[in-house]
Amino acid sequence: MKIAGTIPIREVEENFINIQPIQAAGRLTAEAMKALIAYGDGYSTCDQCRKPFRLDKITKPPIAEFHKDLARFLNMDEARVTPGARRAFQAVCLALAEKGDTVLVSALGHYTEFLAVENAKATVREVPTNDLNVVTGDAVAQKIEEVTREQGKSPVLVMLDHFDYSLANEHDIAGAAKAAHQYDIPILYNGAYTVGIKPVDGKALGVDFVVGSGHKSMASPAPSGVLATTSGYADTVFSTTQMIGDVTGRQFGVKEVQMLGCTLMGGNILAMMASFPTVKRRVEEWDEYVTKSNYVVDALLGIKGNTCVSEYPRKHTLSKVDTTGSFDTVARTHKRRGYFLSDELKQRGIVGAFSGATRAWKLNTYGLSWDQIRYVADAFKEIAGKYGLL
Amino acid sequence: MDNAVDNLFEALFALTDLRVLLRETAPSHKLSAEQQMQARDALARAKAALSKLEEGLQE
Repeated sequence: MKIAGTIPIREVEENFINIQPIQAAGRLTAEAMKALIAYGDGYSTCDQCRKPFRLDKITKPPIAEFHKDLARFLNMDEARVTPGARRAFQAVCLALAEKGDTVLVSALGHYTEFLAVENAKATVREVPTNDLNVVTGDAVAQKIEEVTREQGKSPVLVMLDHFDYSLANEHDIAGAAKAAHQYDIPILYNGAYTVGIKPVDGKALGVDFVVGSGHKSMASPAPSGVLATTSGYADTVFSTTQMIGDVTGRQFGVKEVQMLGCTLMGGNILAMMASFPTVKRRVEEWDEYVTKSNYVVDALLGIKGNTCVSEYPRKHTLSKVDTTGSFDTVARTHKRRGYFLSDELKQRGIVGAFSGATRAWKLNTYGLSWDQIRYVADAFKEIAGKYGLL
Repeated sequence: MDNAVDNLFEALFALTDLRVLLRETAPSHKLSAEQQMQARDALARAKAALSKLEEGLQE
């Protein structure tokens, strides 16, 4: 079956358990799918767009209320939807940084943070992790001191992932916020791997910006995301245009410069809104998902030679494991080489492990039921047993 | 809303609920008693909506 004769139906989620590291928490809810069916047309949010003609002011459908809900959900003052977390990083960097400025990011920071800083013509400096691959508040303070000594001025922003994309280790956001504020530097909380799956309280953490990814963690289509901030920074990051056309004298009043006007104008925001009630509920179930994650990781660690590269016990559903001492020993002589593992998993209805990888690789168990969790754990043990690894 | 459009969306939404059930039970699609009830309900809603849609379009 193909769409438009060339696009195959995507049935990965219907036919398989998908443990792909970045896809797990972006899977849509039924309500989001329905919103996409009804609101897939390009400018579908604009049917009843009235003055002042801005996305976050639209009341039918209740997009304005959704923006308020998002801010409340994150315990911040103002929120906007963005085309992914990366566009939120970009908006903050463009608002706060300029050529010659320095922005601190984590040594495990996402590449889009680098790009956002570069886009603002500023420079990235990395805060190193400690022996446990964790960024601490002290490390942030030390880096601020180091940069200030070298450059004669402080960094203009700290961006830190709560859980990083690589190991999904938990970093000391509250400590980093305290350190940054001691030097009067604002801090951006990168919640791409938290907002939408675990509770996030921006004010309790003491951060100035909270960024989330809709397609990564809020059961929403790509691209979608959220940028929330305090009343103190809202006017800066959500500043409105002052430009006047020299020929026409045109002005565009309330349009926000860093947002480039309206952001998610179609099915994406409606799907995000449709998933939101589920998202609000599911963050309260986070501990259960972490328990499930540990169940699968424990099963992998029960196979001789395996280690967990991420911090352990797991505090997240995304984990990096090293199977060099087990599955990779099979790959060395197997006719399918490293692909044997993904082949074996696929035969059991499990996909998402990086094809061909048998050394260090990542998996994410978010959203799976206990039946599916046990099934995945048993599948790894079964494969290990088949190749004499137990 | 035109009844045809209403019924069309009702059928699509009921099938969407069924789709999500398939996701939740992958890869075996073995449904629990509760899930079987949900599946029957979704199918019944889809069939009813499609019947009404068919009748409406033939009038």
